[in-house]
Amino acid sequence: MRQVWVVLRREYLERVKTKGFIIGTIAMPVLMIGFIGLSVFMGAQANRSEREISLIDFTGRIGDVVASGMADLGYDIEVVGTDVGLEELDRRVTDEEIEGYVILDDLTLTEAAFEYRGLDSPGPVREALLEGVVGETVLELHLSSIGSESGLRQLLNGGRMTFEPLGEEQAEMERITGIATGIVGAMILYVTMILYGAYVLRAVLDEKRNRVVEVVLSAITPWRLMLGKILGVGLMGLTQVGIWAACAALIGLLGVPMVAAALPAADLSEIAQFLPGIGSLVLLLVFFVLGYFLYSSLFAAVGAMCNTEEEAQQAQFPVITLLIVPFMMQMFTIGGRGFGWMDWAAVFPFFAPVMMYPRAVAGSVPWWMVALSLVLMAAAVVGTAWVAGRIYRVGILMQGKRPTLRELVRWVRVA
Amino acid sequence: MTDPVVRLSGVTKSFGAHTAVSDFDLTIPRGTILGLLGPNGSGKTTTIRMMMAILLPDRGTVELLGGFPDFSRRARVGYLPEERGVYVKMKVLEQLVFLGEIRGMTRQVVKKRAMEWLERLGLEEWATRKIHELSKGMQQKVQFIGTVLHDPDLLILDEPFSGLDPINQDVLESIVREERERGKTILFSTHLMEQAERMCERVCLISKSRKVLDGNLKELKRRERSGMVAIEFEGDDRWLLRLGFMDPERVGDAYHLAVSDTATQNRLLAGAVAEGVSLRRFEVLEPSLHEIFVRHAGEQSTEPSLRAAGGAR
Repeated sequence: MRQVWVVLRREYLERVKTKGFIIGTIAMPVLMIGFIGLSVFMGAQANRSEREISLIDFTGRIGDVVASGMADLGYDIEVVGTDVGLEELDRRVTDEEIEGYVILDDLTLTEAAFEYRGLDSPGPVREALLEGVVGETVLELHLSSIGSESGLRQLLNGGRMTFEPLGEEQAEMERITGIATGIVGAMILYVTMILYGAYVLRAVLDEKRNRVVEVVLSAITPWRLMLGKILGVGLMGLTQVGIWAACAALIGLLGVPMVAAALPAADLSEIAQFLPGIGSLVLLLVFFVLGYFLYSSLFAAVGAMCNTEEEAQQAQFPVITLLIVPFMMQMFTIGGRGFGWMDWAAVFPFFAPVMMYPRAVAGSVPWWMVALSLVLMAAAVVGTAWVAGRIYRVGILMQGKRPTLRELVRWVRVA
Repeated sequence: MTDPVVRLSGVTKSFGAHTAVSDFDLTIPRGTILGLLGPNGSGKTTTIRMMMAILLPDRGTVELLGGFPDFSRRARVGYLPEERGVYVKMKVLEQLVFLGEIRGMTRQVVKKRAMEWLERLGLEEWATRKIHELSKGMQQKVQFIGTVLHDPDLLILDEPFSGLDPINQDVLESIVREERERGKTILFSTHLMEQAERMCERVCLISKSRKVLDGNLKELKRRERSGMVAIEFEGDDRWLLRLGFMDPERVGDAYHLAVSDTATQNRLLAGAVAEGVSLRRFEVLEPSLHEIFVRHAGEQSTEPSLRAAGGAR
């Protein structure tokens, strides 16, 4: 066991210390934080310039409603009295005290047409928002004799459907959260299996190609070497994902309130509801660990039977296919409910990480199916490790051409 | 202690249609330096790889340290493969510590011993540098340290001196000799006859996948007489002609004569005494390893390319 530990530690440290790992691990959260920071900053910038828009209302009836409508959307508009006069407002624009101003007059009351004066156009977003708010306000005014104001508001928002689930009782919010967690989790599992699988493949191939392995294998059994490598790369993967998760949590804790502060319109409580529960995260870890062992031993076997990068590219194709097929199927059943047979395909150990995890957290399959798939995966890990270990044992010291399928079977039998 | 360290019997290995090693027998007694000699492609590396159970023979048996070269026996061997393998991105000391640790040595012990070796080979300043920063020769020395670090009973070195400059070759040669003094058994392969002649107690000559001959180098030379005698004396050489040695070849002050058997040798010596010649030197010349090799490889195969390769240096 000590030997496995020595190999593991070397593999882990040598990987974690590389520039690639540090950049790859740090750059992603930094980019995300930067992106969020930038959008907050831009939002603040935009708000400051918007405060410089004024509004003059010659009708005396809708100016305040329009201004408050815009304020709801996050844009402040200052309403000025008619006594200020157009000449004074023009002067404020040319002296750059304000960016521009809106004129509401009788024509606005009939056709919702209005004028905007400024050095530059207010930009497509603000123009559309202004047009919308003014139009709504005028329409409301015209229809105010018909019914209550709040009813009209709903009417103006268009039709609205509510869904009444007739199946098992499940809170709507919970279901949506489950589906969202499932999709994100399946993506994470898919990407990490391919990414870290490729790391294992490369590690094995490099070691074989530069012949270090001949020396190492005079001191340690192939099985332990393979186990050490897989554990080392896996631990690096967990470190990386862990750092990302910590950064995501940090962004969640610090970033979201910042965004919320900058955009008062956003509703914080809604975001909180979408965050996955601790149970789904633990399940994700379980699927990751089992799936990683399953695939990395396959990748290790592929690495051991190849001699060159090009060969490995070709030889890993069947393994990659095992990952892509369930991913494609998952795409069709993104809501968690698909054809019945797909639920059974998800039980298949090699498909389980990508297909069963989203089903499990969305609660779209009974719990015993999830349990069955976990048991099958664990069994498959043992079986795959046994077969891959034998291929590895023979292949790692074999130079020359890549084995045919028949030779592979012989390796597994004889080794 | 009398058990041989390595015993191959009837070992044959083919790769497809090509037979790399054919019906090979070899016994290496404990505490000796054996040189495995042969031109490139003669099967040296394949033989060594079978000793390390990297390849399994198609026929025949391989015994290492008293049995099948299983894991525990291989752990007592220091093996330097022909193709130099190192983790190029690791630091020198870390790599050595890793190699020691997987062999069950504790970190402190490996570190201490690795530093001693690095100092001995003049690499102590490179201990914390990454291996790819080192020259090829230095990398080779680091790899050699990795081979001897765990104090193995048997060293199997595949072309250990190739690619080293003469100074480092000398350093490595003397270390190999010291290990021999400490009771280790050493097998190394080379295609340099002169080096083998300088270092080996025993040699095993391979040509074209087959063993040509093997044994103690001194005995071999004695047995494989050159058929030449060198003779130096005062005065003219007519007495040689009178005795019937018709074509003496003048080499410096000496004459080289083809004398194939002991009787002729004695006749020559007796003749010299009878003629009253004052002899300065009378020496039965030993054949060089190169000559022995060409003689035997040539008997086995008349392919001219092989003989040329056998003489390569």
